[in-house]
Amino acid sequence: MSKLAVHDLAVRYGKLTALAELSFAVAEGERVFISGPNGAGKSSLLAAIAGSVRAAHGRIEMDGDILSGLSPEAIARRGLSMVPEGRRIFAGLTVQENLMVGTGMRRDRGAIADDIAAMFAAFPILAERARAPAGALSGGQQQMLAIARALMTNPKVILVDEPSLGLAPKVVDEVYDRLTGLQDLRGLTMIIVEQSSARAARVGGRMLLMRGGRIIADGDAAGFAARDLLAEAYFGEPA
Amino acid sequence: MSLQLLFDALALGGIHAIAALGIALIFGVMRLVNFAHGQFIACAVFALILPSADALAVLGLGRLPAPVLVPVILSVGAGLALAAEALVFRPMRNASPVTLMVGSFALGVALQNLLLVLYGGRPKAISLWAGLGHPVRIGSAEVPLLQLIVIAAIIVILVGLALLLRRSRIGLEMRAAAEDFGMARMLGVPANRVISGAFALSGSLAAVVALVLVAQTGIADVRMGGQIMLVAFIATVVGGMGSLSGAVVAGLGIGAVSALLQAGLPPEARPFRDAFLYAAVILVLLFRPQGLFAPVGTRTRV
Repeated sequence: MSKLAVHDLAVRYGKLTALAELSFAVAEGERVFISGPNGAGKSSLLAAIAGSVRAAHGRIEMDGDILSGLSPEAIARRGLSMVPEGRRIFAGLTVQENLMVGTGMRRDRGAIADDIAAMFAAFPILAERARAPAGALSGGQQQMLAIARALMTNPKVILVDEPSLGLAPKVVDEVYDRLTGLQDLRGLTMIIVEQSSARAARVGGRMLLMRGGRIIADGDAAGFAARDLLAEAYFGEPA
Repeated sequence: MSLQLLFDALALGGIHAIAALGIALIFGVMRLVNFAHGQFIACAVFALILPSADALAVLGLGRLPAPVLVPVILSVGAGLALAAEALVFRPMRNASPVTLMVGSFALGVALQNLLLVLYGGRPKAISLWAGLGHPVRIGSAEVPLLQLIVIAAIIVILVGLALLLRRSRIGLEMRAAAEDFGMARMLGVPANRVISGAFALSGSLAAVVALVLVAQTGIADVRMGGQIMLVAFIATVVGGMGSLSGAVVAGLGIGAVSALLQAGLPPEARPFRDAFLYAAVILVLLFRPQGLFAPVGTRTRV
C-alpha cells in the first residue's frame, strides 16, 4: 500500500483551475521531487495535501485514511508536516520556541527533549542561536529552522516547498545534505518542490513534472535531464 | 509633580492598558477588532447587580465577599466572551476582517440593548467595596487604598499575563498563531483552542476593567463600556495593532498623559483635555503610522 495517495485532485481559485484531476501515489520512504514552470500548481498541490487549501474534488489518503476535508491541524496530527514556501518561521519567537510550537500534539513527551537535541546536532547553528529571535537568522538558517521545526512534530510524511528559494548555491547544498540525511535517519516519506531539475537529479529520487495543473511526466529525476520533457514543460509542445 | 499625580496616572494608565490588552489579544490571533469589548465590560458591571429599572442598584453577585466575587466576575467575563466566540465569531471565522468588525459592532449593539431591557437606561449608583475609599498616607500624598490595590492588581495581571504568554504551552501557541495562524495550524496547533483561549483571556480582562471602574466611580451605566473601548482601541492602534506590549505601553501612556493634562492644564482648558490627548495621538501616528511597536512580521532577512 502506498504511504500517500492522491486521486483525481482538483483545486480551483474562483474560475482559475490550479490543479486539474491529478493523481499519483508515493511509497513509504520515497523521495519525490515536483518540478515545473511557475503556475504549474506545485505549491497548490502541497497546500491541498496539508489541508490549507480546500480541494474542489478528489481524494487524498495517507496510510489508507482519507485526509481531504480535514483541518490542517488534524492532518498534522496524523503525521504530515510542511516546510512551506518562504519558510514562514515565527520571526518574533526564539529559535527554540519555533521548534516547540509543533510539539503540543505529541504524546511522547519524554522524546521531545531528545528530538530538540537531535535537531541541534543536525543543525549546530540553531543550537548556537537557540535563544535568539528567529527573525534575526539569515535566510539559510531560517530554512534549516523551518525544516527542523517541521520534524519536531515527529512526522511520517514531510512536504518541502522550494527549499532553495533565495539561497546561495552553497547553502542549498547544505540544506539538501541535512534534508536527505534526516530523511534516511528517520525513514521519512518526502515530497519536495524543486524548480531546478539539475538539483533534483543530483540529490536523487523520483520526479513528477507538472504543467497547467497536471502531471505530465513521472520518472527517475536523473533520467529527466537526458529527455526533452523539461523543455516541453517550460516551452510547450515540442516542434 | 506630586506623588498623588503619579498614582493617578498609574491607575488610569493601567486600566487603559488592561482594556487595550483585551482588544489586542483577540486582534492578534483573529485579526478581529472586537468593538463589543466595551459591552463585555458593561455586562460584567451589570452582572454585579440584580435586574431592575430603579436608580439605586441592588447588589446581586456583588454581595459576595471579594475573594469569591473576583473569580466569579472574571468567569462571567470569560464565559460571555467564549459564548460570543462560539455563537457569533466562529461561524464568521473565514470572513474578511471588515466583516468580522461589523459583526462585533452588531454584537455590541445587541448586548447594550439587552442591558437596556433588563436594567433600564438610567445610570445607577452602586456601592462596591465602599470601605476601600479611605486614604492612606504615603510621604506627602494621601492616596485612596483602592487606588493602591488597583495599581497592585494591574501589575500582578500584567506580570501574570507575560508569564502565561512566555512560559505556557497555550501562550506559545497564541504567540505563534498571532504571527502566522496558518503555519501554526500546519504544526498541529488547534485553531479553536487558541481562539477560545484568547477570547477567555480577553473576557476576563474586560471583567477586571469592570470591577475597577465600578469600584472607582460607583456608577453602573449601560454606556460605560463605549468610552473606555474607544480609548483602548486608540491605544492598540498607537501601540501597533497586534503588539501586546505596544498595547500596554500605549494604554499606560494615554492614561498617564490624560491624568497629567487634567492636572496640568489651566482650568479653562480642562474641558478640552481629550482634544489635546487625541492631538498627541495624531502626532504619534503621523510619525509612526504603523504604531509604536509594529509586530515583527514574517519578513525574512536573506
